[in-house]
Amino acid sequence: MDIISLQSVTKEYKQYKRYQGFWGSFRNLVTQEYTIHRAVEDVSFSIAKGEAVGLLGQNGAGKSTIIKMLTGILVPTSGHILVRGNNPHKKRRENNRHIGVVFGQRSQLWWDLPVIDSFDLHRHIYKIPLPLYKENFDKYVELLGMETFISQPVRQLSLGQRMRAEIAISLLHEPDILFLDEPTIGLDILAKDRIREFLRTINQEKKVTIILTTHDMKDIEEICPRLLILNKGKLVYDGEVKHLKDQQDVGKRVTIEFADAVPPVTIPEAQLMKDEGKRKQYQFSRDASVFEHLSKLASRYPIVDVKMHENDIEDVIRSLYQHLDDEDSRDLSEKKVARI
Amino acid sequence: MMAYFSQAMKSFSRSMAYRAEVWIQIGGNILFLFIQISIWKALLGHSMTNGVGIQEMVTYSILNTSLSIILMTHVYNQVDESLRTGGILMHLVKPLRYPLFLFADEAGKNMYSLLFELIPTLLVGALLFGLQPISESDHIIPFALSVIIAMFISFGIGYLIALIAFWFMTTFALRWTVEGLIKVFSGSLIPLWFFPPVWIDVAHMLPFKFLGFVPAAIYMGKMSSTEIYENLAIGLFWIVLLYGLGSLLWWKALRRLAIQGG
Repeated sequence: MDIISLQSVTKEYKQYKRYQGFWGSFRNLVTQEYTIHRAVEDVSFSIAKGEAVGLLGQNGAGKSTIIKMLTGILVPTSGHILVRGNNPHKKRRENNRHIGVVFGQRSQLWWDLPVIDSFDLHRHIYKIPLPLYKENFDKYVELLGMETFISQPVRQLSLGQRMRAEIAISLLHEPDILFLDEPTIGLDILAKDRIREFLRTINQEKKVTIILTTHDMKDIEEICPRLLILNKGKLVYDGEVKHLKDQQDVGKRVTIEFADAVPPVTIPEAQLMKDEGKRKQYQFSRDASVFEHLSKLASRYPIVDVKMHENDIEDVIRSLYQHLDDEDSRDLSEKKVARI
Repeated sequence: MMAYFSQAMKSFSRSMAYRAEVWIQIGGNILFLFIQISIWKALLGHSMTNGVGIQEMVTYSILNTSLSIILMTHVYNQVDESLRTGGILMHLVKPLRYPLFLFADEAGKNMYSLLFELIPTLLVGALLFGLQPISESDHIIPFALSVIIAMFISFGIGYLIALIAFWFMTTFALRWTVEGLIKVFSGSLIPLWFFPPVWIDVAHMLPFKFLGFVPAAIYMGKMSSTEIYENLAIGLFWIVLLYGLGSLLWWKALRRLAIQGG
């Protein structure tokens, strides 16, 4: 049973034309000219209950717009959305009773009050039965290590502590779906680890469906088996993280440290990326026999050290984005040619 | 319902976090009263105008200054802020009605203002300048009702201004204008009985007189019973009108937000 489904969803905004300068500001009063900005274009996907899905895309790719449509704040210009079997906009308040939201850049805690006061208010807003509330409260306080600061005013918390509290509060009412918008932004490594581990546990034990947007690939690698990638409003990848790595595999990067400065040597099946005289970096193509080439090289020039870098998910995504950008600019230049 | 009550209580506790400010506020109120009363002394001396003398004006000023503490017009500050920062999102993803949330939040702040600002100001004002007792004991209930009406109308006006921010992003000019209108037509600075006939008529057609003049006039026995009930009825009518208009605008604002993204 799918808990979320989108069917060719498009969202357009009108952007009114703004004139610049002093007189322009008067023109703005009367002008009605606008351009259509398409934030999300013909996106379809569905998510089963209990899945953990990472939503990835550059700034302005349409991630937030999708989350806002799923929480019923925005309505799509065309297409259909079902969340928990309902139209999320029409059943906003009913649906949102079963949804948890964490926006890394916004807080739902009361700045001047102790953390526990916000939790208590949350209990009333979501009408959580007291025994359930107590059970979850104790569990999350323990799992997230919040004993030390639960009675402190939120303004005195560190960012890491605040994020832990934000995540805990959004799960108190046992939501079916948890939306996380950049939950680890600005956190140190230990705080990130703690939050990732907690989210993994919640996803596996409570079967909470997790939708996560982030710029940190590690978040996705560690929490979400499935990945959706958006580019300029379009869904360009929907599948497993592992699969994307294989698909985008660009081979190995090798840094070679020579005993003396050597001229820029060419190696078959590899490309010279960086040349600092003694130290050179090569990008070997996929399926290249790296060791063979290296031993041949070592017989000609004495090598001190060799470092191999496996392409991590960040490299994979970077090359995907670059690839997409290249495609776009090629499209544009083709159009220009066509016009001439 | 419990959610909104709980919201009000939290809002009360939050205001308590800033209680250091309270002395400055009470001091400011007393200073403001002192200036007002000095002006009335200079203007009226020991004479009576329209059956109103200096003692009446002292009472009138104390009542109005106290009432202004619990008016809820400034609800627009909160809406403005959450529109500017986008914080309104966090309210919309909750299973709450935003207008009711706003009312509960303001009511909580008001409970605090009532206890820690209004009562001290009233007491100090009465001790320093002298406050006449309520004219007739029969007027206690109508007076209390008129104060409640004042709170609801002030919230309604503030809420309407706040909603207009959804279209214009900023409501500074509108706020400034409405605040000016309230100062003049609520009669809080100059009572309506000193107004020339034309402007009295204008004042009676507007809802602002309920934010100062009406409660004070009932307290001081300056209205006959029929006038009192007429005024209370008109006050209720304004509440219904303002809230109807508010609901309509809120619905339109949500629509606009949903389509245009704010």
